[in-house]
Amino acid sequence: MSKKIIAVLLSLVMVMGILALTGCNANNSNNAFAVPETGFNPDEVVEITFTHTMGAKLQEVLNTYIAEFNKLYPNIHITHQSAGGWGDINGQINTEIAGGNQPNIAYCYPDHVAMYNIAKSVVTLDNLIASDMAIPGTEEILGLTDAQKADFIESYYNEGLAYGDGLMYTMPLNKSTEVLYYDKDFFTENNLTVPTTWEEMWETCEKILAIDPDCYPLGYDAEDNWFITLCEQMETGYTSAENGGEYLFNNDANKAFVKELREYYQKGYFTTQELYGSYTSNLFVETTDTRCYMCIGSSGGASYQMSNNDTADGTFAFEVGVAPIPQYNAENRKVISQGPSLCILQGASTTDQQILASWLFVKFLCTNVDFQAEFSMASGYMPVLKSVTENENYANWLAKGNGYEYLVAKCVQIGIDGRDNYFVSPAFNGSSTARTQVGALLLKCLSGEAADDAAVDALINTAFQDAIDECEY
Amino acid sequence: MSKNNANAVMQERDIHKITAGQLITRILSKSFTYIFLLIMALIVLFPFYWMIISSLKTLAEYRQAIPTFWPRQLMFVNYVDAFTTANLGDLFLNTLYVGLVSTLLSLVITVLSAFAFARLEFKGKETLFGMLLATMMIPGELFTITNYITVNRLGWMHTFTALIVPFLVSVFYIYLLRQNFMQIPNELYLAAKVDGTSDIKYLWKVMIPLSLPTLISITILKMMGAWNSYIWPKLVANDDAHQMITNGLRNAFTDTSGQANYPVQMAAVAIVSAPLFLVFLCLRKYIMSGVSRSGIKG
Amino acid sequence: MVDSKKHWKAWLYLSPAIILLLVFTVWPIFNTLRMAFLNGYGNMAAIGGQTFDFGIQNFVKVIEYKEFLQCLQNTAILCVATVPISTVLALLIAVALNSIKPLQKTLQTIFFLPYVTNSIAIGMVFAAMFNIVGLKQGSNMADTWGIINNVIQFFGGEPINWINAGSSYIANMAVMIIYIVWNALPFKILILLGGLQSINKQYYDAAKVDGTPKRRVLTRITIPLLSPMLAYVIITGFIGGFKEYSSIIGIFGEKMGPADDAGRLNTMVGFVYDALERDRQGRASAAALILFAIILIVTLINNKVIKKRVHY
Repeated sequence: MSKKIIAVLLSLVMVMGILALTGCNANNSNNAFAVPETGFNPDEVVEITFTHTMGAKLQEVLNTYIAEFNKLYPNIHITHQSAGGWGDINGQINTEIAGGNQPNIAYCYPDHVAMYNIAKSVVTLDNLIASDMAIPGTEEILGLTDAQKADFIESYYNEGLAYGDGLMYTMPLNKSTEVLYYDKDFFTENNLTVPTTWEEMWETCEKILAIDPDCYPLGYDAEDNWFITLCEQMETGYTSAENGGEYLFNNDANKAFVKELREYYQKGYFTTQELYGSYTSNLFVETTDTRCYMCIGSSGGASYQMSNNDTADGTFAFEVGVAPIPQYNAENRKVISQGPSLCILQGASTTDQQILASWLFVKFLCTNVDFQAEFSMASGYMPVLKSVTENENYANWLAKGNGYEYLVAKCVQIGIDGRDNYFVSPAFNGSSTARTQVGALLLKCLSGEAADDAAVDALINTAFQDAIDECEY
Repeated sequence: MSKNNANAVMQERDIHKITAGQLITRILSKSFTYIFLLIMALIVLFPFYWMIISSLKTLAEYRQAIPTFWPRQLMFVNYVDAFTTANLGDLFLNTLYVGLVSTLLSLVITVLSAFAFARLEFKGKETLFGMLLATMMIPGELFTITNYITVNRLGWMHTFTALIVPFLVSVFYIYLLRQNFMQIPNELYLAAKVDGTSDIKYLWKVMIPLSLPTLISITILKMMGAWNSYIWPKLVANDDAHQMITNGLRNAFTDTSGQANYPVQMAAVAIVSAPLFLVFLCLRKYIMSGVSRSGIKG
Repeated sequence: MVDSKKHWKAWLYLSPAIILLLVFTVWPIFNTLRMAFLNGYGNMAAIGGQTFDFGIQNFVKVIEYKEFLQCLQNTAILCVATVPISTVLALLIAVALNSIKPLQKTLQTIFFLPYVTNSIAIGMVFAAMFNIVGLKQGSNMADTWGIINNVIQFFGGEPINWINAGSSYIANMAVMIIYIVWNALPFKILILLGGLQSINKQYYDAAKVDGTPKRRVLTRITIPLLSPMLAYVIITGFIGGFKEYSSIIGIFGEKMGPADDAGRLNTMVGFVYDALERDRQGRASAAALILFAIILIVTLINNKVIKKRVHY
């Protein structure tokens, strides 16, 4: 039996060889969209699809604004579906692209777009944005007006350009960032000031430890974000999207700050999700056992930072304060920008009208102040337009609010205030590996066993080398 | 031979006079069996218990660093949420339809193939069977993209066909049933041939009743498969008319940032598992010695 | 008794299975082979218009991978350890279940329950049982040791760092083995119980009349008559063991190892997934084929050994 199987396998291999030599590939080499001379046709019915990860509550908001949109463009029929969570959407769209069945519009992170772009499936938006072609039956133009462009928070808008070739790939929808949550009662009681730089942070940690020796002064949920943010703040180099992707993080400056963090970790100044064994936000809201008085986490996850609601009347065990994350250098303030953008996808069967319709819808979602405001209020993410803060409903929401809403509003406010400081890490095929690897390397360096200083250096060197090897493999 | 006989005679004598010592051994061995089974049962039961208590927790408690073994506050409202948020009725019917149709068709295909492999002689049988086994060894994830393209070309996107047909054949089940069929003495088949009984009739009258426990095991596994399938249905038929339970649940109970609201999701899983559990309770009777064994005499 | 009519019939019975397999299994395997022999093949890149040369570079790349041996080793250990343990346990449970009268129904129902338990629940329970939360660096303090360590401490033992930062490879492997065995048990019990029910009661009646001791009944009647089912669970267990991946994700998450040593527990299929995620279908296919070759050899050996012992 085994001989026969081997014979069959060998013959299969040969057949494959022939197939491989004669194999052909679909070829659509250019993905820069050229706006057709005839422009958008408002009389022709266009079907477009939109894949996202919105929960039920956000889908309600979306449906309302699809109805609004259809008042303007009744001929554009939009079907939307949720692909589950963030972990699922890119795998699904990858497969759909392979089958030529991709949605017209998709929720995306830069890493995802980099992957879709290998298949040249992402429509670049530059020509669409620049077009001043009038849309029949409306007073609108196809592209963005100067006023619209100026209304975008610049760093969000520039995220679409993070792909190393200067072209615009995505439009920002709603964003989140990292903020520092702290126990306001504890800080007031002990006369502590909220740290604004890392140096102050470590001083504060020392003070807190003196007050409560059993605590972790600081919890940081995402190790990878921490590493990347520090690289950006110190300008020591992380990755670059040039030349199809370069890994720059294996350098002495980064090793130095990792070593410093290790010392602080060994002193018990902080913990992270993986090191602690659970979300540090859980530690933060805890009031009985081991505590953690500061916690750096996503502004979109404010609900997890709520102190335990022990009483029925809605009062909390302690007041949660929110502040921007510490900086390394006041001259070079950097904070990571996350949250969904929108990209337009194309395949062999995508028509120009579909792309135009998709663009009109993307433009609508990203530039409509009411939608941006409502979406932000429902999700806790930050609007991408400056003028949203002037929206009356939104301003009211930001100003009042209590409990959870208050916290969300606070987060959003900090996000809006820090809008000039945003960065996004470069996106290319391999950027998600780099992110995983730096997270793992930081953990290894913080907690690995090492007897003396030389051993620590050796540990750090190996960890960096291993990470870079995995990235470049 | 003679030694065996002597042994048997001796033991037969022993049977008639059970000494106190033997009684104790018997009781001990019985209690040992029970203790063993009870401990294993507890271990096996633990996840089920966990699922139930998780479904009754608040999201905050669920996410706690130190898991609680009993919810502080029983959130029966999770069940209400689960019932109202997702369109459970439709999801349930879709899944039931896919589960039943694919189980039935799959059973027919499996029985026919297993019969051919167990009873019929044909050229290349061993090689073919070996190759079937070999196909089980490649990680199925590599097939996903190719199968997606195939289904797309066949025009099956967003149909129940796409959910049912690609997974009708399971080499695992063919293999399992073949093993079972091969245990049934060949003499029965040859006798049936002499009597002029057709293959199908023989299958239906003898083979199927005798391997009912295995067939029911396959049914359970197949139904469970339909209940738990997630990635493939999401790719080929995630529209409202065809959505399956797991997909519907995952989509319905994500919070604003796209993270799952596990307690409500667990509640929903518990709700949809209940009917399945009842079906199993009924089938259990058949798996457990409800089978007539009259045909095997001789 | 081989006549042409029978040939014809056999193929007729097999035709539905074969047609479906050709379309949904054999064709994808062809495609896998094609991708494996195209140097640096990536699906997205192919759609984007890139072309690839025919060659064996993918295989070279896989074998050159620094952690390749580690992946192989993990896969092998998991396989060799879990299959015998879970098979023996499942056999004992099935036989014990079959031998009792009171409580039989209740216990059977309990052993069926895992089938209606959501897989997310199973993964979470396990991680929670072994997870130590808040282990302080350099001290012997933790917020919670996890239920397993609580039991150890109850009996006066020292708590063990199973899966957290600083845990040992042996501890990690022990957890994986326990988890995989646990996961495999319900399926095996179901199959073996079904098999036991198919054994003719007459054999047991005869044994009873003969007064054969229980252990002898087990080794001389039950196991030989159950051997086809045992062969089935062992062979499929090995195949499943070689494809182990999701259980590691269940305990350790995407990093496939404790916090301070990511990737320590990576397996061959884990490697395949990583490659797929980076649009390296060629490399993934090559790794899958290497794995396939290994499983094939093991299965052939298994078959040879088992064939001698299986009693039909």
